Amino acid sequence: MKTFAIRGRCAATPPPQSWREELARMLGARPRRIGTWAELGLYGALTCMAEAGEQALPPDAQIWLGSERGTYAATATVMAQMQDDLPMPLAFLQTQPSQLLALLAAQLGWNGHACFVAGTEPQALLRLAAAQCGAGGLLLGWVDEMQGGATNWLRLLPGGEVAGEGVALAADQLFAPGHTHVRIDGMSLRAFPSGAAILGEQGAR
Amino acid sequence: MKPVHLCGSGLACALGLDMKLALETLRQGGVAPSQITLPGMLGGSFPYRAIADSQKDWNERARQLVQRVAAEAGAQQAHNGVLFIATSSFDIGAVEQGGAQMDYRAFADKVATWLGWTGPVYAISTACTSSLNALIAAHALLAAGEEEEALVLGVELDNRMTPGGFAALQLLTRSDSKPFGAQRDGLVLGEAVAALRLSAREPSPWKLLGGANVVDGSQPTGASVAAVANMYRRALAASGLTAEQIDLIKVQAAGSPGNDAAEAQGLRDAFDTVPPLVSLKAAMGHTMGASGAAEIALLTACLEHDEWPRQEREIDAQLHVSLAAAAPENARRIMATILGFGGSHASVVLERA
Repeated sequence: MKTFAIRGRCAATPPPQSWREELARMLGARPRRIGTWAELGLYGALTCMAEAGEQALPPDAQIWLGSERGTYAATATVMAQMQDDLPMPLAFLQTQPSQLLALLAAQLGWNGHACFVAGTEPQALLRLAAAQCGAGGLLLGWVDEMQGGATNWLRLLPGGEVAGEGVALAADQLFAPGHTHVRIDGMSLRAFPSGAAILGEQGAR
Repeated sequence: MKPVHLCGSGLACALGLDMKLALETLRQGGVAPSQITLPGMLGGSFPYRAIADSQKDWNERARQLVQRVAAEAGAQQAHNGVLFIATSSFDIGAVEQGGAQMDYRAFADKVATWLGWTGPVYAISTACTSSLNALIAAHALLAAGEEEEALVLGVELDNRMTPGGFAALQLLTRSDSKPFGAQRDGLVLGEAVAALRLSAREPSPWKLLGGANVVDGSQPTGASVAAVANMYRRALAASGLTAEQIDLIKVQAAGSPGNDAAEAQGLRDAFDTVPPLVSLKAAMGHTMGASGAAEIALLTACLEHDEWPRQEREIDAQLHVSLAAAAPENARRIMATILGFGGSHASVVLERA
């Protein structure tokens, strides 16, 4: 069982209409040669980090990313290209979800442990991440580009003791606003709403 | 922290459909690669280390191989544990045949059904480091007492997209793989299904001590010297060992001109005296997301059965490293390393009783 303080959040299902402009503003330029899925991931992660008031991740933080369909659009593009020629090299790279991890690492000035988990549930992703999490905490995201897109992220710090048992949280509500702490126990999620008494020193903002 | 034991392994690769056949083939000097033909100006014929079987239907072939390899690893003893599927290509070969859609969850469910798996299932995809990241994740769950059994299943099977992408990036050789070789000019890809069964309750001569993965975004398609050294230092720290305690390192050394050089330099930066090194890429090809599990399975079997891959190629003297001609005596503490796309550098540490 681990409890995390939520230091930053981006809950964007779907993202706002201006998300591409916002991403360009955060990056200082429009991203080039990366697919929509990776752009969505960058937008959500950087928005979450900005809300957390962090520009760079600490070296012992980890990035964990999940998705239901991931790079399926890039994969379809490459399969079409493969009908009568080799794919475009950068298009092929975009079929690998780990490319987004590298983009995030570069953008956040960080080298460390990052992992992509395919097709599971958000609470299962958090369970794996929590088992390996160190003092630097997690940047945990869930990104999909179908059905208007979704890019949901949390910046989580371990600790932050909270009073009471909290409330059971459905997996699809992990990224939703309204709680300052989240606890993972096996596959079970519990949320601690804003206003819950914080007993530890590492509370949310 | 509970100790985590490596209790069983299974392997199907170009060397053979099971470990016994793979060791026998290795003893006889290996097997010539097959060929794959790709379209376009940069396409043509490339060597490819395919698993030799005649089944053409991707799903049926995968089912047979997964069930066979999992059984060899003793997966039936872990069905209530956690299953990690490690892959970079999922079932894209089935998609190319019209036998699947691009759906991660459907793929994971399909594999779990083949195995009659009742515990949690995770699909890890970090390109070529997928299996090692799955091992690191499994180790964390077992060591923390959250699970008692785990199976790490590396799956990388025939499809056109992956070799097509590597060819487009001009990463493939048209001759053969030359790990750390003076004339190295690219990779030979291969197929593998490999299974490693981990347990926190069953003893075994092999222990998984821990590992580390370092993503360096400055090199999204290649290895970084600093990240290689950082990876080794972190893996040693996670395992509670020092560099001097390592008896053998299974390196990536896929035969890439740039990556092999970066890897060699990173090794020299992390180790004052570089331990004996071994590469299995020339024997089985680079099996991408399955490679971590496949190469650990083969290496531990080699050490148990006194087999060793032939290292006949001339090593690049400028790299200032060498490959061991024979297994080091009493090799107890072993590191296994894979480097991959996405700037991913991963290594795990095993200890033999």
